Amino acid sequence: MIINENLVKLNLEASSREEVLKKLTKVASENGKVNDENTYIEAILKREEEFSTAVGFGVAIPHGKSDAVKEPFFMFSTVDSIDWKSMDGDPVDLVFLIGVPANDAGSTHLKILAALSRKLMKEEFRDSLRSARTEKDIMDLLEASELGL
Amino acid sequence: MKILAVTSCPTGIAHTYMAAEALEQAAKKKGYEVKIETRGSVGVENELTAEEIEDADAIVLAIDTAVPMERFEGKKLVTVGVADALQKSSELIEQALKASPYTTGKNLADEVSDLKTKRSSERKGPYKHLMNGVSFMIPFVVAGGIAIALSFLIGGYIGFQEEGTLAAYLMGIGGTGGFGLMIPILAGYIAYSIADRPGLAVGMIGGSVATQINAGFLGAIIAGFMAGYVVEAIKKYIKLPKTLQGIMPVLIIPVFGSLIVGLSFFYVIGGPVAALNTAMNNFLTGMEGSSAAVLGLIIGLMMAFDMGGPVNKAAYAFGTGTLVAGTGSAVMAAVMAAGMVPPIGLGLATILFKNKFTTAERESGKSALVLGMSFITEGAIPFAAADPIRVIPSIMAGAGITGAMSMIFNATLSVPHGGIFVFFAVENIGMYLVSILIGSFITAVMAGTLKKPVEIVQPVKAAQ
Repeated sequence: MIINENLVKLNLEASSREEVLKKLTKVASENGKVNDENTYIEAILKREEEFSTAVGFGVAIPHGKSDAVKEPFFMFSTVDSIDWKSMDGDPVDLVFLIGVPANDAGSTHLKILAALSRKLMKEEFRDSLRSARTEKDIMDLLEASELGL
Repeated sequence: MKILAVTSCPTGIAHTYMAAEALEQAAKKKGYEVKIETRGSVGVENELTAEEIEDADAIVLAIDTAVPMERFEGKKLVTVGVADALQKSSELIEQALKASPYTTGKNLADEVSDLKTKRSSERKGPYKHLMNGVSFMIPFVVAGGIAIALSFLIGGYIGFQEEGTLAAYLMGIGGTGGFGLMIPILAGYIAYSIADRPGLAVGMIGGSVATQINAGFLGAIIAGFMAGYVVEAIKKYIKLPKTLQGIMPVLIIPVFGSLIVGLSFFYVIGGPVAALNTAMNNFLTGMEGSSAAVLGLIIGLMMAFDMGGPVNKAAYAFGTGTLVAGTGSAVMAAVMAAGMVPPIGLGLATILFKNKFTTAERESGKSALVLGMSFITEGAIPFAAADPIRVIPSIMAGAGITGAMSMIFNATLSVPHGGIFVFFAVENIGMYLVSILIGSFITAVMAGTLKKPVEIVQPVKAAQ
C-alpha cells in the first residue's frame, strides 16, 4: 500500500504552499515514510522551482525523489484555496504529495502514480474527490478507481 | 484524422502521464484516432512505430526533455513544454494539423560540422590539450607552408637566398614568420589549455627554447605540457597575500614559469629530446621502399579508422610534426592523401552502385565528394555510422593503399591542410593523384560490393 487512511488529510489547515508541505511531510514522517523532513521538503521545492506542479483545475502534485524517503508513498489532502504559483494562476485545493526514494529501482508504484496522474485529468474524478466527506470516502474512491493500489 | 503525441517531463513521475491523458481526451472529443508515447520514469511506453508515424496526420510533442526526432522528418508537428499540453491540448492538436512539415534541416555538411564540434567538446585530458595546441598551430603552418611553396615556385629551391627578391620575401613570411612561430604557438596553446591564460606566455617561451636547441615538434609538445603543469603548480603552491595577488599573472608566473621550463630544457631534458627528434626525422627522411610503404599503410589505416577521431588525429598530428623541417614531407603527403580517400571513395560508391544507397545517401554522396577533396575525412562518418561493419573496412583498405602508394612514389607536401586547394604544394603531383584515385576506387568498389541492396520501399498507398 502506498497510501492508507492515515495518509489522507481532509480540510488541512494551512495558509501557504510551504505550510501545506510542512504539515503533510510531518504526517508522512509519523507514518514512517520519511526520515528527514527538511531534506525531503527541499527536494520537493527544488522540483517546484523547475516549474510549478500545480497543473491546473485546482490540483497540485508536489513530488520529490530523495534519500530522505524510506519507501514510496503518496498522500492526499484537501486545503483551502492556496496560491501554488500555478501556470493558470488559479489557486489549488486538491494536493497529492508523492515521495519516491532516490535509489528506487522498482516500477510498480511509478505505474500507479502514472495511472493516478491520468485519472486526475478527468473532471468527474476531481469532482468526487472534492465532494468526499471523510478520509474513508477518499480511500473508497481511490480503491474503486482501479489504480492498482 | 490520426494524431500521435509524445510526452515527457524531467522527473517523469506525473506530468508525462497527465499530458498524455489530456491530449488523449482532447483528440477523442474531436473524434480523432490517437496514440501517445510516454517517456517517464517507467521508461518508454506505447512507443510509436515507423508505420504509425507514416500514417499520422499530425504529431504533438509535449516534452521537457530531448526525445528522438529523426523519425518525424517530413511530418506536421508542434513542440511545446509538457505543461502547455495540460491546458491547451485541444488547440495544440489543431495547431499541429496546420503546422508545416518538420525537417531536421541538416545536410551532410551541417551534420559533419556538428559532429566536429561535438567531438572537440568531448575531448578530455592530455589529448584535449594537445589538440588545442595543434588546432591553433595549423593556420600558421598553412600560411607558412603555402608562402614557402610559392617561394619555391617562383625562384626554385635556392631563389630565396638572393636578397630583395619576391622569393626571399615569401620565404621570410612563410619560413621565418609562419614556421618560426608554429612551434611556440603549439607549445603555448597546449599550456593555455592546461593552465588557462597564465600558461600561454610560459608555453610559448618554452616552445621557443625547444626550437633553439632543435628539439622540434617533439620538444614543443613536451615544453607545452611542462609549462602548463608548472604554471598550475605555481598557482597552487605559491600563496601571496591578497594585496600582492595582482602580480601573480604578470610577474611571478611568467618569470618563474619560463625560468623553470627554459632552464630545464637547456640543462636537462633538451639534449635527449633534441636527439630523439633528430633521430625521428632522419629515420623518416631516410625511409625508402618497403619500410616507407608500411609506414604509409599504417598512416592510411589510422586516418580512415575513426574518421577524425583520436586515432585519425594522432596520425595527423604526427604528419604535421614532420613539417617542421621546412621542406616537403612525405608523411604529411600520405596523411592528407589517405584522409581524402574515405569521403571521396564513398561518394564515388553512391554514383557507381546506386542500388546500394538510399536516396538521401546518394544526395549526401555529392557533398561527401566535395568534403573529401577538401581533406575533411569526417565526411565519411554518416555512411560509416549507418553501416559500420561494411563501410569502415572499405575505407580503411582504400586509405591504407593510398597512404602506401603516396609514400612509395615519394610524393611530398609542405602544408598540413587544404586538399585539392594545396595540390600546387605537392611534389610528384601526378603519382599523388594516381594514389588518391586508386585508393578511392578500391573503397568505392569494396563498399559497393559489400553493402546490401537497399530494400525496396513499399509504394505509398493512394489517397482515398
